[in-house]
Amino acid sequence: MAEPETLKGGRRGRPPWPATPPPTAEEVYGSLSEQAREYPKFLESIVHPDKAFNKPEALDRVRVLDCSTGMIIGHWASSMLAELGGEVIQVEPPGGDPLRRLTPFGRKEYMARDKQRGEPVGLHFLHEMRNKLAITLDLEKKEGRDILKKLAAHVDVIIENGTPGQWDKWGIGYRQLSKLNPRLVYCWVGQRGQWGPLKDKPGMRDPVAQCASGFVHGTGDPKEFGGRPTRSGMWVADHVGGTAAAMGIVAALLHRERTSGKGQFIEATAAEGIIRILDYNWVWHGMDGSIRPRYGNWDLAINIYAVNPCKDGYMMVGGGHDRLWYRIWKTVGDEVPQVEEEILADTNLRNISERLPHTRQVKTYTLLCEWLKDNTRAEAERKLVRQEVASGGVLAVHEVAEYPHFKYRRQVQEFDDQLYGKVLVASSPNLAEKIPARLKWIGRPVGHDNEEVYRRLLGFTRDDFDRLGERRVI
Amino acid sequence: MLLKCPKCGVKNYLDPYPFWNFKGKTKCAGCDVVYAVEIANGSSVRPPQPVSGTPKDPDLLLPGFADTPDNKPVTGDGKTRPAPRARADVYGKPKPIVRNSRGRLVAGRPLKPEELVGSRARYVAEGKEPK
Amino acid sequence: MAAKRTRKRKPLTLPLPSGERRRGEGRRVGQGEGDFERYCRQTFNPAAVFGKPEVLKGYRVLSCTQYILGPSCAAYLGELGAEVIKIELPRRGEPMRHSTPGNEGFLYPLSRWVPQSGTGLGFFGANFNEYFISMDFHRPEARELIYKLAAKADIMVENYRPGTFDRWGIGYRQLREINPRLIYVWTGGFGGWGPGRVRASYDILGQAQGGAFSITGQPEEMGGSPSKHTIWLADYWGGMMGALHALSALYWRDTVSGQGTFLEYSQVHGVSRQLEYALPLYGRHGIIRERWGNWDTQLCVHGIIKCGKSSYPKSDNPQEQEEGYILISAYEDGDFARLTKAIGQEKMVRLYKSHDVRVRPESQREIYAALEAWAKDKTKEQVAQILDRARIITQPVWNAKEVASHPHWRDRGSIFWLDDPTYGDLLSQGPAYKMSDTPPRVKWALKPIGADNEFIYGKLCGLSAEELKRLEAEEII
Repeated sequence: MAEPETLKGGRRGRPPWPATPPPTAEEVYGSLSEQAREYPKFLESIVHPDKAFNKPEALDRVRVLDCSTGMIIGHWASSMLAELGGEVIQVEPPGGDPLRRLTPFGRKEYMARDKQRGEPVGLHFLHEMRNKLAITLDLEKKEGRDILKKLAAHVDVIIENGTPGQWDKWGIGYRQLSKLNPRLVYCWVGQRGQWGPLKDKPGMRDPVAQCASGFVHGTGDPKEFGGRPTRSGMWVADHVGGTAAAMGIVAALLHRERTSGKGQFIEATAAEGIIRILDYNWVWHGMDGSIRPRYGNWDLAINIYAVNPCKDGYMMVGGGHDRLWYRIWKTVGDEVPQVEEEILADTNLRNISERLPHTRQVKTYTLLCEWLKDNTRAEAERKLVRQEVASGGVLAVHEVAEYPHFKYRRQVQEFDDQLYGKVLVASSPNLAEKIPARLKWIGRPVGHDNEEVYRRLLGFTRDDFDRLGERRVI
Repeated sequence: MLLKCPKCGVKNYLDPYPFWNFKGKTKCAGCDVVYAVEIANGSSVRPPQPVSGTPKDPDLLLPGFADTPDNKPVTGDGKTRPAPRARADVYGKPKPIVRNSRGRLVAGRPLKPEELVGSRARYVAEGKEPK
Repeated sequence: MAAKRTRKRKPLTLPLPSGERRRGEGRRVGQGEGDFERYCRQTFNPAAVFGKPEVLKGYRVLSCTQYILGPSCAAYLGELGAEVIKIELPRRGEPMRHSTPGNEGFLYPLSRWVPQSGTGLGFFGANFNEYFISMDFHRPEARELIYKLAAKADIMVENYRPGTFDRWGIGYRQLREINPRLIYVWTGGFGGWGPGRVRASYDILGQAQGGAFSITGQPEEMGGSPSKHTIWLADYWGGMMGALHALSALYWRDTVSGQGTFLEYSQVHGVSRQLEYALPLYGRHGIIRERWGNWDTQLCVHGIIKCGKSSYPKSDNPQEQEEGYILISAYEDGDFARLTKAIGQEKMVRLYKSHDVRVRPESQREIYAALEAWAKDKTKEQVAQILDRARIITQPVWNAKEVASHPHWRDRGSIFWLDDPTYGDLLSQGPAYKMSDTPPRVKWALKPIGADNEFIYGKLCGLSAEELKRLEAEEII
């Protein structure tokens, strides 16, 4: 990709959004009785993210070397560990990870720039660079690999995503590194795996794994409704596989500390992450050869549980079991009594599982829409939530960013970074009384922490930096 | 939208996704009368009008489902739109499955009390052929 | 008609009739088995997992959960070897047991009390390796039982509405007095505090309100609507996040502090975490990310296109008669040049010289239109074959059958026949990751309600046969 043009008239300083500040505690709890406010206040007092820095971190003795390049799955795994306190060192080739250059529709003006060097970085990469130290190291060069071997002695975890067998051929695979550091937890991440018949099939970026796992075939409207298989808007298989990788890594660390004293070899792939969570696809296929069809925004296995159009957008209403089922129709019946009568009169809809066949779902949702069409998302939500029915509108990104509940909980958080200024980010969902995840910095430019890391771990001198920098090893 | 046919009383369910914004023809599943409907944001712009047209007209968008006033389903080829199907033979009721797709025993059918050992299906435990 | 079998032409790498792969058949793709692959095969051999130790041996997890989010969180710990005790309502069980696709597939029995009704397939996958006991939490007698169980547990996973367990006297505040080492994991929709705390949530509500819904699906101008992720993503993946945090808490408890803690996971929050650049982009520029269908906003060519012909036109399964879809990925200049050559559109290279040009929305529309026009008379396997020869990255969109019968996933144990002790021979998914020394594993998929009442209550609460019978009769357990 070409050199980015300079950011003309870019917004510096305070970003314009979100438009309103989060609600205050008084606004949230003021109107409640002492009894009703007691438990939420207790919870808030123990898990509020603003207090995270007064608390210890779960993984703060763990040092992770993330050598994965160009693939979100590895970055995601290490950012999970970094949020929970791990010291994650992101190793990039000199010049930076290719993902740094990605920006929606190639728009350079959307990239963020750090205050020191003004180096552009795509927002996607930046979002997963949180709490990490950025160093550069060229593993294509023998010298670089020698440095990696030295680094391996100082770290607890290595994450890599080389092509299958590449690192082993280079002499820095699990077999070799575990001899240098038997306590090392070594994790390979990828799309489809480093062994097995598809190992050499190229393709490293989602949605490769989404297509290969059956996810895409199952998502979107059915053909009968004029739909086609649809990928997730996000690189979701990488997120799932990355989380699985992080889980395997923490499990391996726990085993190392408690029992064996030794590290191990972990393999996590994006496709297998999705295969694991594709609920009943495989068991259903195994029983009678069924191939799960796409079912749009309805659900094959629960009724009512769907997103349907409403007056000002799309509205989710869910109530699988009987108690909620009747509450929903009562709410609907207050305004459109004939719909409630229609539903209650149909004996086919009385039993929870008899509501599931397609024809009955059509009936349910067509009648529900008789009510939804005159209600906005907010109105429908207000009426249903009063009956304790799980419901809510489909929120666009700006509505997520401006949603008071999310702002109050710091789910969406305006983070003031030392290098990148104010960035609106999603914080980690892992809140806790004692070991919450937290956000320390949003990201680092290429090679920002070379000096610090190499000096601290390997005792590099100025001469070393000059020598290796000249040869583009770091 | 619910289209109640004044002629035969069959309730045709014009399901929300295809019919939310729709201008065209549909057909009563009960008596095959063709209707011109115009729907905007889920509400009828004008009441459905019976119009000329053959029931086999390819422009027709069939209702997703239909049933009679006493809730007997009216479905079938050319009546309502086909459902998304996972297999050729479908459905809607618990299907007794005794052997899975590779021919081995699987507990996919209701059991009699005497087939149970504790909580375990005896025929699976003993590998015995169920009747 | 339905019974008639049609023999299908075998495409390049795909698929086998469902059933077992013949020996050696998996090696048709790739450059053969090298030394490293042999090593990996041996290290991660799915057939050898039961000869290896488990990470969470000796840990006990209480799972007071329903639906998917909480149960799957406990199941991931169960895969790693924890003794997970799942507590359900007596007789009725949890609601997920009554949900199955199209009301068709069930596994019998639901419980020893009702052998005539079955457990729906929706329950599958979220409750691996668990012991199933029944208990009606809010009865005072049940409270004593929970106290006894919690005193011996390491983790408790719960996903009732916030404050419910506290009101019943079995919440974190009560249990931490009994067992200060207990890690109490609450997983749920909106979290227990803040203005929206009273709201209940399900998976798609999490997707809808977290923002994932609005960026998935075909764009408005192509006649699409926002689409949900068909898997219960916010639940299953959320459970994984909860399990990751619980494991970290165990690590911290056992290596550092010795203390238990309270963890809160909100699935809506989790979904927002996945939005990639959407929030920073909005925060900086006020630009709202929207859906972009089957294409990628940041890379082009990197999208899924439709191939006009079905791979199995004669199949009697409607899912197989559908046209094929394939992912084509050629965003680098060299790849793009080869792609345009392969589809006979060399002039496109001059039109779209650099990636920055190709990735613009208007270019993307034209490029993908040209690709779909080219693929109109081809099956996805034919497209894959032509483009593989041109060294372009492709990945056909596989349906459940193609994935389930692919030798790659069978070899790796990602999908395998599980000989379930209660329910027979089931095709199951394997764990999401592999470990060399302490691999996660699936031992059994599920059990009927209350199947382990005698075992668990006898072992941990010291209930006699007499007492069990009484509690059962009173529907406390």
